[in-house]
Amino acid sequence: MSWQVPLTDLSISEPDIEAVLDCLRSGWLTMGPRTEEFERAFAAYVGAPHAVAVSSGSAALQLALLAAGIGPGDEVLIPALTFVATAEAVLQVGAEPVLCDIAGAPDLNVDVEDLKARLTPRTRAIVLVHFMGYVGPWGPLRQLCDEHDLVLIEDAAQAIGAWAIPADPDAGVAGQRVGTVGELGCFSLFSKGQLCVGEGGMVVSADEALAARVRSLRSHAMTSGTWDRHRGHAESYDVTEVGFNFRLDESRAALGLSRLGRVDDDIEHRRALARRYREHLRDVPGIALTWSEEAVQTGSHFAFAVLSPDREQRDRLRVGLAQAGIQTTFYPALSNFSGYHAYGHHERAGQASACHSALPLHAGLSAEDQDAVIAAVCEAAAG
Amino acid sequence: MPATTLPDIPLFDLALSSADLEAVADTLRSGWLTMGPRTQRFEEAFAEHLGVQHAVALSSCTAALHLAYLTAGVSPGDEVIVPSFTFVATAAAVIYCGATPVFADIVGEHDLSIDPDHVRELLSPRTRAVTAVHFAGYPAPVDRLAQLCEEHGVALIEDAAHAPSATLAGRKLGTFGRSGAFSFFSNKILSIGEGGLLATDDEQVARQARHLRSHAMSSGTWERHTGATTTYDVTGLGFNYRTDEPHSALALSRLSGLEDDIARRRELTRAYRQALADIDGVSVPFTDESVEQSSCYVMPVVLADAERRREVRDGMMSRHGVQTSIYYPPVHRFSAYVERYGQQSLPRTESVAAREVTLPLFAHLAPEQQRRVIDALTQELAP
Repeated sequence: MSWQVPLTDLSISEPDIEAVLDCLRSGWLTMGPRTEEFERAFAAYVGAPHAVAVSSGSAALQLALLAAGIGPGDEVLIPALTFVATAEAVLQVGAEPVLCDIAGAPDLNVDVEDLKARLTPRTRAIVLVHFMGYVGPWGPLRQLCDEHDLVLIEDAAQAIGAWAIPADPDAGVAGQRVGTVGELGCFSLFSKGQLCVGEGGMVVSADEALAARVRSLRSHAMTSGTWDRHRGHAESYDVTEVGFNFRLDESRAALGLSRLGRVDDDIEHRRALARRYREHLRDVPGIALTWSEEAVQTGSHFAFAVLSPDREQRDRLRVGLAQAGIQTTFYPALSNFSGYHAYGHHERAGQASACHSALPLHAGLSAEDQDAVIAAVCEAAAG
Repeated sequence: MPATTLPDIPLFDLALSSADLEAVADTLRSGWLTMGPRTQRFEEAFAEHLGVQHAVALSSCTAALHLAYLTAGVSPGDEVIVPSFTFVATAAAVIYCGATPVFADIVGEHDLSIDPDHVRELLSPRTRAVTAVHFAGYPAPVDRLAQLCEEHGVALIEDAAHAPSATLAGRKLGTFGRSGAFSFFSNKILSIGEGGLLATDDEQVARQARHLRSHAMSSGTWERHTGATTTYDVTGLGFNYRTDEPHSALALSRLSGLEDDIARRRELTRAYRQALADIDGVSVPFTDESVEQSSCYVMPVVLADAERRREVRDGMMSRHGVQTSIYYPPVHRFSAYVERYGQQSLPRTESVAAREVTLPLFAHLAPEQQRRVIDALTQELAP
């Protein structure tokens, strides 16, 4: 089956392709100069002193938790509505994920009051997810972490380029991007994201020691790498702890670096599409918007979701759109998964999961295709 | 930082063909980067190449080993017998499962494979699996080990990172055990940057490995894109161990040149063996006959005098521009392993590991370059 309007689509430019081919022609494929350059450029883009390229957003979260010293016996607060990797990473390091409800429509990010009620003496960290690219409540959580001596880790897998503090050149405010308000920020370079290379991820931090620990653990905690030995910088190596192969490779770094230059344009295009969706769907009966105009301004628009009154009407909407050749998706709450039934039920997360549809959104979506989506939504909602 | 010295004759060099580049460029132009039809084609081709039922493409060989152990039922409290004379991932992946690696010695200076007699001594009621590493592409005695494992009801796992097309008694390595783990890391024979694969004849192992490589999700992005399904369940604790389409396209393209590449490596290996046979102070492990079975991943030689290794290697590099390496510092001596398991004694591994030097070997190493390597070693060895 081929969608007339797919959920996401990706256009790789000729300069992107040339960057990858250049790398392949060089014959050097493991982490080396391109990865270093990509890390520097990524750090500069996000506004973090250190960036460490890794194999995926999942790997980024796992390494961030390990670097922060989270392990068996610890509890980590996470939202109940997020991609499964957030919970999985906590379990991978042997800690216990504690699921917190979301604020609820129209805000699908974590609810600060619900989260506070779940603090225990064993709580060691909070993973703040910026769901669908909309900025989560970092201010109150930063304060909470400071008061209780907790580590704040940002899961910005869907939120590269979003603004925790918006830039305001007129007022002389440089702004601050998400990923830099926690001790560690985690990003994904997966195919569906705003900055995609296929599979990949990134960890950023202002803390040199944390970044160094992530760097070490991503490549088996070896004291030197292949590139160092190739350049004669190291004779042999020690292994200082149990690490992983969570490396990115040079061709992915080359692609990431080439695409990074246009990520702000892509996000701006996604933002314009989100605004246009809102404008046309605002007054459609049976359709409610998520988040707010202000959140649209600061977010980076991984996905665009609308809410139906209940599951039945949501399912009908999705079927109607599918019949019109339009692909949609929805994000299950963690408690929807049989593997996570034991972690409790969260009313608002469950409700939002049951009622939302994510509509096609990508930088290459044409006005014509968007109009088709809008028309189909109106029709399906009326039916 | 010390001055950068790039070797004249590197340990390893990679020359990709224009067909390889075109395969990657085509994939990027298609706009579909996450696992899809290309990954499936590569898996089918590799399975056919090995003569095995199932091949599961992964992010790395470390991931393949992890999934090989998990699908063999390795869990906390278990022991897995592994060689220490290997890359650290062989043992680290055991620890990921919460189990304990138990280190076996090698046969000796002439055969760097795991010693089946020592494996027999180490078998305990807690042993769940035995891992054979096909060092440098030469077959470990997996026929004997398979029998031993069968007698004791434990799984045989093959770490075939070095051996993508090597054989024992006419059968491809990686097909003797419950599963075989392969590497496509950048300095490997079938190099693509980062990548790995699990091969197995056991359908349940394959199904479970596929499930775990993408977060234990019941469907993938490609299935949802093609309309085969619209949502998914998560039934257990999985990972992001996926490869991506550009890497699968590169692997598939390179697979067609694999046999030629290995044939050339065998030629070079024979020439090395002949030239080094009469040189004092160095021995060459394995036999002339075993070269015909081997994929000849690297060229290990063993010096008579451990005290001279550093000086010989430094001399080869500084006076002759020849890069060498050490395969491998033994795992049981790494500080992370001494810390966990205490000082252990593996006399043959320690003796050979202290004297091993790895010489340059890659398919397009020119005869005159090889001559220079041999001269460099000969001159540096001369008293």
